[in-house]
Amino acid sequence: MAPVPDSVEIERVCKTYASGLQALRDVTFRVAPGEFVSLLGPSGCGKSTLLLLLAGLLPVSSGSMRIDTTVVTAPRPDVGMVFQSAVLLPWRTVLDNVLLPVELLRLPRRAHEERARELLAMAGIEDFAARLPHELSGGMKQRVAICRALVLRPRLLLMDEPFSALDALTRDRMALELLRLWERLRPTVVFVTHAIREAVFVSDRVLVMSPRPGTIGFETEVKLPRPRGLSIQESEEFNRYAGSLRRAIEAEEVV
Amino acid sequence: MSLSRLTWPLGVTAGALVVWEAAVAALGIKAVVLPRPSAIAAVVLERWPLLLEHLWPTFYQILLGFVLSVVGGFVMAVLLVYSERIRKGVLPLIVTSQIVPKVAVAPLLVVWFGTGDLSRLLLAFLIAFFPIVINTVVGLTSVDDDYIKMARAFMGTRWQIFAKIRLPHALPLIFGGMKISITLAVIGIVVAEFVAAQRGIGYLIVMANGLLDTPLMMAAIAVLSAMGLALYGLVVALERIVVYWHVPAETTAGGTP
Repeated sequence: MAPVPDSVEIERVCKTYASGLQALRDVTFRVAPGEFVSLLGPSGCGKSTLLLLLAGLLPVSSGSMRIDTTVVTAPRPDVGMVFQSAVLLPWRTVLDNVLLPVELLRLPRRAHEERARELLAMAGIEDFAARLPHELSGGMKQRVAICRALVLRPRLLLMDEPFSALDALTRDRMALELLRLWERLRPTVVFVTHAIREAVFVSDRVLVMSPRPGTIGFETEVKLPRPRGLSIQESEEFNRYAGSLRRAIEAEEVV
Repeated sequence: MSLSRLTWPLGVTAGALVVWEAAVAALGIKAVVLPRPSAIAAVVLERWPLLLEHLWPTFYQILLGFVLSVVGGFVMAVLLVYSERIRKGVLPLIVTSQIVPKVAVAPLLVVWFGTGDLSRLLLAFLIAFFPIVINTVVGLTSVDDDYIKMARAFMGTRWQIFAKIRLPHALPLIFGGMKISITLAVIGIVVAEFVAAQRGIGYLIVMANGLLDTPLMMAAIAVLSAMGLALYGLVVALERIVVYWHVPAETTAGGTP
């Protein structure tokens, strides 16, 4: 049997903005189908740019970028995205926000409404389906944003520091709930974060990016057993991973 | 609106009227200079058919001028936002046209378009469309970039981004513009009626002034103000229905006519 092609293939990708700023240089990595990969690095290291390129929202300057073997040139319906802030439309109910991608693609609403409600139930916010976003807490809003990204059953989920605007306790809980969702739906995930422990907790593999211009300097496979509970963060193994990532980031920053 | 919230403002207004009434009587001011509020109220009741006859044309022209301003201002704003050529060519003209005191143009409009409804509607439009244009442009362009990115990531087209994101986002601001615009439409129509008209509250005010009938003049101003207030209230009521997700600020620009 032929090996399953990688879900994401990034080959020597460079990105230079019109201003002359080189955001990314020679970034190369692959993500296997169903794999949960984190891009970890300080702010300004180009990790968010990389995600915008993958989403098809920005063109690459050179190199190639493929999702499921096709070159990325524009946004695709089988890729879901979660942003740093929830970006929910304040005039739409929670359910209508989740169904926005369905509507934008002019797909039948009725066929997807059940799916949307199912996702809201998985995220534990089914009782809020008819509420407006301003009635929700920050964590709840981000859950809605995750449901919205999953409503079209994407094969690839891109997450741009999705929990960075939340308080520490909510953040831990959200990471745990994200893992539960991921274990049930198993999309490929590229997760951008600047939090080391969060990266170790959720990922199969962590890629460390160093800034100016952004490149991938270090990578480690996280072989912690799944499903993972929050208590795993106290284990020696977990802390060994976190330590090695911290040292890698510090080493990059000295250069 | 609860009763207790109305009590204070109504109380202050009633108090001011009582002071007015008492001051006119105590100082022996003649009715031709300043009639008592009770005398004005009596004129409103006595001459209601006359006032109504002149109120009606003013009312429908204000409404028409306002609707024209909203529709015209909105279309102009969309063109300004989506066409760089129009923005660069026309925006300076629009801004310059706002420097010219439009009230001064009123006699000219009568020369060009006659003494009919058209010249009055044009004056109302010229005064009232500007806040709609400015507020709509700001509303359509002030959408946070993250929303546009989100919509594009989920395959939204340009038209969908306009209809489903920019436009609803702009609605609270458009209503802010409409509240200013409705009061300006009142000014536009009444000033145009001063210049040339055979009917209308503006005409009645000028006529009563000529007859030195100050009580009638002030009765006309009173019903005009009441109507202006009602129109403003109508816009606010519409805003509460349309912009259901947005809590409007207590204080709004424009005030009452």
